Amino acid sequence: MTGPDASVALCARGLGFQYRRRGGRALQDCEFTVPGGRITALVGRNGAGKSTLLHLAGGLLRPGSGQLRVLGAVPGTSEARARVALLTQDKPLYPRFTVADTLLMGEKLNSSWDRTTAERIVREGDIPFHARIGELSPGRRTRVALALALGKRPELLLLDEPLADLDPVARGEIMAGLMAEAAERGINIVLSSHVLPELEEICDWVLVLQDGRIKLSEDVEDLRQSHAVLIGAADQAGTLAGQHTVVQSRTSGRQLTALIRRHGPLRGDWHVERPRLEDVLIGYLQPGEPGHPAPAERTKAAA
Amino acid sequence: MKGSFWLAWRQQRVSAGIGAAALVVAAAIAAYYRSGMLDALHSGLFDHCATGPLYCTRSDTGLPLLLDIEPLKYLGALNIALPVVIGVFWGAPLLGRDRELGTHRMVLAQGVSPGQWFISRFALAAAITTILSGLAAGVFAWWWRPAADRSYGLFWYDNTALSGSGPRVVAAALFGLAAGTLLGLLARRVLAAMGLTLLVTGVLTLLLEWTHWARLLVPPHTYVSAGSIPKPPMGEKWSAGNYGLITATGRHDDVLNCPYPSGAQLKECMAAHGYVARFYEANPAGDYWTFQWIDTAVLGGLAALLTVVTVLLLRRRV
Repeated sequence: MTGPDASVALCARGLGFQYRRRGGRALQDCEFTVPGGRITALVGRNGAGKSTLLHLAGGLLRPGSGQLRVLGAVPGTSEARARVALLTQDKPLYPRFTVADTLLMGEKLNSSWDRTTAERIVREGDIPFHARIGELSPGRRTRVALALALGKRPELLLLDEPLADLDPVARGEIMAGLMAEAAERGINIVLSSHVLPELEEICDWVLVLQDGRIKLSEDVEDLRQSHAVLIGAADQAGTLAGQHTVVQSRTSGRQLTALIRRHGPLRGDWHVERPRLEDVLIGYLQPGEPGHPAPAERTKAAA
Repeated sequence: MKGSFWLAWRQQRVSAGIGAAALVVAAAIAAYYRSGMLDALHSGLFDHCATGPLYCTRSDTGLPLLLDIEPLKYLGALNIALPVVIGVFWGAPLLGRDRELGTHRMVLAQGVSPGQWFISRFALAAAITTILSGLAAGVFAWWWRPAADRSYGLFWYDNTALSGSGPRVVAAALFGLAAGTLLGLLARRVLAAMGLTLLVTGVLTLLLEWTHWARLLVPPHTYVSAGSIPKPPMGEKWSAGNYGLITATGRHDDVLNCPYPSGAQLKECMAAHGYVARFYEANPAGDYWTFQWIDTAVLGGLAALLTVVTVLLLRRRV
């Protein structure tokens, strides 16, 4: 079955979800479309609903309201299951299985299985096949989990904080391998991460979640084009209001630094810088009202 | 689906192996003691013993003659405890282990639906449970037959025989599995699920033993003998411990109103109080199957009910 929006990786309409135990809405009125062929960064602060969104897309949770489509299919259906791979944050594996058993399990549980790729990913990490999962370091376990996810030849790969427990070198290696794989096979990837600088190099689409709502769903290049960091005298802040969207602004003494989304030409005397993706994302992630800098929050969001 | 069964077997083969090994050991012990029992019976020592609940004695020393049935009773006790053992060690971890480790998310993120995940492992566990418990009940029956319903053997109404043999053993084991599975789905920790399962299956096992003892589900039959003629012999019947006298109007009175076994005193006393008949209550030997089928229906029904609840909750909890 290929629906009209089969080329769309991820599409949500009025998506909402609520955990029964925790209370409160984890996701609310989410509307976005991630086109196909993208590597998407899912960004948001802790508790923003990133894992919930990925679990919904992976079919592990069912939407409370609205709808979500992965590759045009309903998550959790056998069609979606065959085409979507999800690697959850805790990367659960059977601790008593050996690495070889785990890969064999992937082969048995999936209709299609790419043994070569799965074994290559494991071998690249120097992981012995006869080792038990429970005895592996977290980083090696992540590698095995990734081999399991890629072995099923997914068209859409959902990764929830995939590399959080890896050292920088291994992170770089795995990421590079992942990107090569994605480019070669045309896999769609959605990954959530707190490591914003890394995202800039690999992602071409961003989804920003804040308090269960989608704040941004946009092409990375467009995002950087349309935003600007302005530095200038604080008394000309008024020239920005109305015409542009001030995402974030900070006053120190008489100097104003502002991140804006430009709509039309700038008036006033500003020093204009082209923002990095990281700057834009942090601007959106910070809930602070204009004029209230929150440096502690800022470093936390970037960490 | 084949893959889910592969995984289910991969995860349950150790339990299945332990269960099968325990059964083999039980069967070996049964074969050993049963042949000893047969030798004793063939020796002719027991030939003069009549059926009935009274002890048979040695003609020379006057000591009671008994077969060595203690090991048989242990097997019966094991069969009674089967729902607890299977519930705690097989049922509770069946879904609970995956939920505690979060590994069900990994399995479900592969090409497996929640339904397949549940059905494959539960069906496999239920099949193995049925086979193992059926064989355990079979071993008991085979061992018990030569000593069944003899004063020197084991009567059908002994706990270990009534609850440790027959189809009820299979139903009880399946009940234990279903209870453990459901509690494993509900509890957050396997250990908590095991504790709850121990409680639930233990209480139900004791409750059913109590219904046997109280004859709640299988009421005893009342045996009446007119006047002071001898009462029908108790034989293999399971006495409810209720003896008494009946007036012409049909009122049942306690036996202590005329506490004489027979003879002129009894006649006099009965005439004085206006009693026309005597009675006692007991379950005939055929009630073994009534007890069995009622237990099987109760336990099997509960197992089915708990399985349905598990399936209904599966969508919400996984």
